[in-house]
Amino acid sequence: MLKPHRVVLEKVNSYTEEAAAFMRRRRHHRREFVRIRFQSGAEADLPTGTPEADRIATAARRLIELG
Amino acid sequence: MSENALAEAAGRVLENLAELEPELVSAGIFDSGLEPVATSSTDVAWSKQAAALLEALEAGSAGQTLDSAHVASTAGEVFVVTESGLSLVAVTGRYVLASLTSYDMRMALRDAAREGSGQGPGGSWAKVRKATGEAENKGRSDA
Repeated sequence: MLKPHRVVLEKVNSYTEEAAAFMRRRRHHRREFVRIRFQSGAEADLPTGTPEADRIATAARRLIELG
Repeated sequence: MSENALAEAAGRVLENLAELEPELVSAGIFDSGLEPVATSSTDVAWSKQAAALLEALEAGSAGQTLDSAHVASTAGEVFVVTESGLSLVAVTGRYVLASLTSYDMRMALRDAAREGSGQGPGGSWAKVRKATGEAENKGRSDA
């Protein structure tokens, strides 16, 4: 049988893990990306912050807003 | 390919695509000159914005030929597929199955291009079947 303080520690640990997982999921859900595939078969994830990616992301965002 | 036939076919495939994709918000098919062939949105601004996105993608392709693109934002996702000189732009909700959506869009574009060029649905397959049958019989009609 576990000592009482161990039970409390495990509970706290479990809650912390849940919170960390929630934050990870939230970060992932908020991630924006621009992925392009070319006819050559190559694929590129345009890094955010570059002028090309920003132009594409802005155009896509406006399109989504228009619905 | 007559423009009217292509526009009709494009409109039809967009309707079919909307049935296949419950998360589809709006979609449009554009020709190689970025002119809208058919769109599900009646808003002219939507077509202009979609053309702007296609332009931006072309600029971002660094000289390579664009095949498809997937842009995700917090509010939704945009898919672009090019095929047979046509481009399909689709706005969807968040977290759709990307590969399935792209596949459906590609099939829709192929249908539009085929029907727009005067071949009915399954027209090319009928020819393939006929050719295969003749090849198996080696041209003999009594086989």
